[in-house]
Amino acid sequence: MLEIHNLHATIGEREILKGLSLTVNAGEVHAVMGPNGSGKSTLSKILAGSEDYVVTSGSIRFDGRDLLGLSPEQRAAAGVFLGFQYPVEIPGVSNMVFLKAALNAQRKQRGEPELEAGDFLAWVRHRVKQMKMDPAMLSRGVNEGFSGGEKKRNEILQMLVLEPRLMVLDETDSGLDIDALKIVSEGINALRAPTRATLLVTHYQRLLDYVQPDVVHVLSGGRIVKSGGPELARELEEKGYGWLDAA
Amino acid sequence: MLDNIVTAIEALPDLSPERRAALAALLRHGLPSTQDEDWKYTDLLALSALTPQDIAPNIDTHEFPEGYDCGLDALNTALAGGRQARSIEGRVELDTGRHGRYRLTVTDDAELLLDDSGAARFATCFLAIELAPRARLRLTRVLGADAEAHRIIRLKVSVAEDARLDAVTIDLGGRFVRHDLDISLDAPGAAATVHGLYAPRGSGHVDNHVRIDHRAPHGASRGFFRGLAYDRACAVFNGKIVVHGHAQKTDSELRIANLLLSKRAQINAKPELEIYADDVKCAHGATFGRLDPAALFYLRTRGVPEASARALLTYSFANEILQHIADSALRTTLTGRFLERLGGDIDIGMLR
Repeated sequence: MLEIHNLHATIGEREILKGLSLTVNAGEVHAVMGPNGSGKSTLSKILAGSEDYVVTSGSIRFDGRDLLGLSPEQRAAAGVFLGFQYPVEIPGVSNMVFLKAALNAQRKQRGEPELEAGDFLAWVRHRVKQMKMDPAMLSRGVNEGFSGGEKKRNEILQMLVLEPRLMVLDETDSGLDIDALKIVSEGINALRAPTRATLLVTHYQRLLDYVQPDVVHVLSGGRIVKSGGPELARELEEKGYGWLDAA
Repeated sequence: MLDNIVTAIEALPDLSPERRAALAALLRHGLPSTQDEDWKYTDLLALSALTPQDIAPNIDTHEFPEGYDCGLDALNTALAGGRQARSIEGRVELDTGRHGRYRLTVTDDAELLLDDSGAARFATCFLAIELAPRARLRLTRVLGADAEAHRIIRLKVSVAEDARLDAVTIDLGGRFVRHDLDISLDAPGAAATVHGLYAPRGSGHVDNHVRIDHRAPHGASRGFFRGLAYDRACAVFNGKIVVHGHAQKTDSELRIANLLLSKRAQINAKPELEIYADDVKCAHGATFGRLDPAALFYLRTRGVPEASARALLTYSFANEILQHIADSALRTTLTGRFLERLGGDIDIGMLR
């Protein structure tokens, strides 16, 4: 479903990704772990279409299509979702308006009819409940005055509403207490399906206790330096990342 | 530069001696020039583009004053054909899209809508409004004039003890526009809140000068203004708070935020404070910015096309003011008109 081949990317003068290759098949959950500054967030943002980075070589294919040739909104309509490490606050645009604008824009791009107001409301309310959020949040500004944990929950709520096919979650577990971590994990697991894939970008192993990955990769110095099963995550948790550099 | 105005007035049938006196006062005082600090960015020479037909003075129907304190005052009187004085209560609408001169008093509770649909090429409208003790006025001034409209609008509001003014001003159009809003908090407990949005486009020039005088202790004022300029438009905003010597315990806040939506647009905005009392709370600030790239990217990653994302963020900036329009039907109409001009395929149904 997602094939990244020999990806090089820079921000300003600095090269962050230095030949990253990764393949994620439909139905799989992959975790990308690594120390700070290894390029984890860069990878997430490039997948979503950030213009802050320049891809200097390599390719990304999504369902066989050239992902790098698509705008962020086209990628979203194709089914790519990025859960932000630092979700943006948009005062003045309510969560409800935001969700409606997003869902209808995606449907329109895919040539599907817009949802009826009543159907949309039911669709959203059900998922707000699923994320154990207060429905009153829907009329508040997007992430406006939300705590770190509430923002992360809101990312998963958006994901549940939009039902993407590739879920890229950038440090979604950071800033969550244990209860919120469980709710967020349940949200992610609810979308696991043979037709979907997930890329969990994380610094810690604890999210992986709740969302079992099929494959764990270690990103270091802008490349995948090691891949393995779920046991690799536990090994990293015990030993840290230092031993990889030595290896 | 006043030739066209003189011609238009002199063409009126049965020109009264009072009218002649107003015209003479106009010629004696002249109009302010860009040498005057208050007119630095707004050049009244623009009026010379008007034909005598555009100027279209009213016939004499009202009282003329004894004297004039400035050229603009005389201009307005000469064009309006005198002044109407009346007391208002309940809901009242006035058309500021034609020459007019009013003295209004509010003794109880009133809602005043000053609407300008913009059919006339030129209008001057000067209003003096007095709020009696404990009176309340909700004032909405809307300028939706077309791209060729020239306007000079002046509002002076005096607020007595424990009286309260809540004003919303919205400027969405016009070619050459100058608005003065002078609020005088004359007695203890007088309060005023003003929310203003100015959004010129095309080659429009919209200048707002707002001044609030705290002349008595325990007065409160709030001013929240937002400006955005598109195309080659120019917005001018000057907000001045004056706290006079004995106006202790004044509580005042003035915030101005501006959004530039095109490289060729310009906004000149300035807050000014003059404080002559020592026990006061006055906060002010002005910001200038462009649409937040992080918010744009966030919206786009959710599937919202770039043009719609821009429109939505621009709307959210303006809605901080639009949402204060008390009349919901008017609010809906103006919001719809605002969204339409943004393009980007965002309609009001989507924002409910």
